[in-house]
Amino acid sequence: MLKLDNISAGYGAVSALEGVSLEIADGQMVCLLGANGAGKSTTLNCISGVVPLRGGQILLDGAPLAGIKAEEIVRRGIAQVPEGRETYPGMSVHDNLVLGGWVHRRKRSLIRDELDKVYALFPRLKEREQQHAGLLSGGEQQMLMIGRALMSQPRILLMDEPSLGLSPVLVERLFETIVQLNRDGLTILIVEQNAQLALRVSQYGYILENGEMATHGNSDTLRRDPKVREAYLGT
Amino acid sequence: MYGTLSKSETLWPVFIVIAGLLLPFFANNYQLYLGCVLIVYVVLALGLDIIMGRAGQFAFSHIAFYGIGAYATAILQQRFGVPFPIGLVIAVLLSAGIAWLVAMASVRLRHIYLGLATVAFASAAQWLAQTWKGVTGGVDGMRLQPSDMIFFTSRTDASNFRILAVILAIMLLLNFLLIRSRLGRAMAAIRDSEHVASVSGIDVRRTKAWAFVISSAYACVGGGMLVVFNSFIDPMNFTFAPAVLLLTMLVVGGMGSVAGVVIGSLTMGILPEILRSTMGDFIVWQEFVYGLILVLSITLMPQGIWGLVRNRTESKRSAT
Repeated sequence: MLKLDNISAGYGAVSALEGVSLEIADGQMVCLLGANGAGKSTTLNCISGVVPLRGGQILLDGAPLAGIKAEEIVRRGIAQVPEGRETYPGMSVHDNLVLGGWVHRRKRSLIRDELDKVYALFPRLKEREQQHAGLLSGGEQQMLMIGRALMSQPRILLMDEPSLGLSPVLVERLFETIVQLNRDGLTILIVEQNAQLALRVSQYGYILENGEMATHGNSDTLRRDPKVREAYLGT
Repeated sequence: MYGTLSKSETLWPVFIVIAGLLLPFFANNYQLYLGCVLIVYVVLALGLDIIMGRAGQFAFSHIAFYGIGAYATAILQQRFGVPFPIGLVIAVLLSAGIAWLVAMASVRLRHIYLGLATVAFASAAQWLAQTWKGVTGGVDGMRLQPSDMIFFTSRTDASNFRILAVILAIMLLLNFLLIRSRLGRAMAAIRDSEHVASVSGIDVRRTKAWAFVISSAYACVGGGMLVVFNSFIDPMNFTFAPAVLLLTMLVVGGMGSVAGVVIGSLTMGILPEILRSTMGDFIVWQEFVYGLILVLSITLMPQGIWGLVRNRTESKRSAT
């Protein structure tokens, strides 16, 4: 179980998160919603150990993650799919994926098995194995980023706006895969602008406003909540 | 691209050794001396490319490690009678140690501050070479004896050139091995995206520190090579002018590719010789010409000569 207990974080003089708490049970899919600049990405980066905490703590199965290097956090089973088209553009698809398994770099057979699994999940990537990642389409790059994160064999996957810049058809297909990953036992924390979709696929939702937790609840309850509907679902 | 060396990567070093052994039969002393200068430039530029082209970090301290390498091998040889190969190894270890300290001190710095810290280090090293008279000879420089190679003493331009060619082949081979290693992979990752690298579990700071140390070791080897074929070194060899020349080599040739770096160092290395014979009294404008070339190549071919060549061949290939 991953638990964020009253965490605060910021950049320089700017405070990005103020006392945010959040819980994800094993096997759950949880979504984190909010407007631009609400602190969603910062929350993910705090969990990944890239942005240092200014207060509170993050617990993985009861053990605090604060002060632990980003590398060790990946080793403990938390992987991130960053926002946007964050591939290594000059490298081949294959090399991108291999780098995703960096924490297991000394176990060659494990890397090979994971690679096969990712190619089975996204056959498209197998076809483009030797192509430069920068030449892939937006949808393929998103698949590559998810595949790269899976290479580290995570228990918990943090996803930062996977639907960004994709056509509705592609988004539908991508989310089918994400739901499938969750059904196969992967715990997922997904940050989304597309609140409608995120609340439909997740079991629980949190809504951030200006760096603070505005509300949270079961995804179905949130979808029916008139305030949430007005602010995030556009109805 | 990662894993074992390709055929051409194994053949190039072999070719360089053979060419290095044979060329002295056909070249005069001036050409051999120029050849030595160019070889040193290639090694220096390959090293600078490790930190700038491969790991994507700016460092101006390369010239300082070039100086440390030259002075350390020279002093070990002249004062303590340590043969060149052993002296060079000691110098490389010393440079690597200093580079590690500099890296540890500057890992907390980012962007422009890291660059500035390396500029400060380069200035400090230059100042030390000028003022520490008892050790470096200060501004009067150091007179050098022919290098002791354990089995023989290298007295002629021909033997100097052969030694340098062999060192170049080794450094080139090591460069290929580095690029294809796990560390090389991690360096490329932080160059492309530090954020992704760190959330993938790559230790960004350590990778940068290693890139810096290895890059500095290359500069040190370049300095040692300078001692082999020169009879004199002084702090003027290690000022900002050659540091800028090195940067120009990377930019003109094309960072992040061995071919580009070699092309850049050969073109920019041979240019002073061409200018000297063609410009006559206008030679005082030499620095201006370098600046102009730098600006023009940044605007007209941001990926260097090699980038231009590659784009041409790729578009031709896709056209057919």
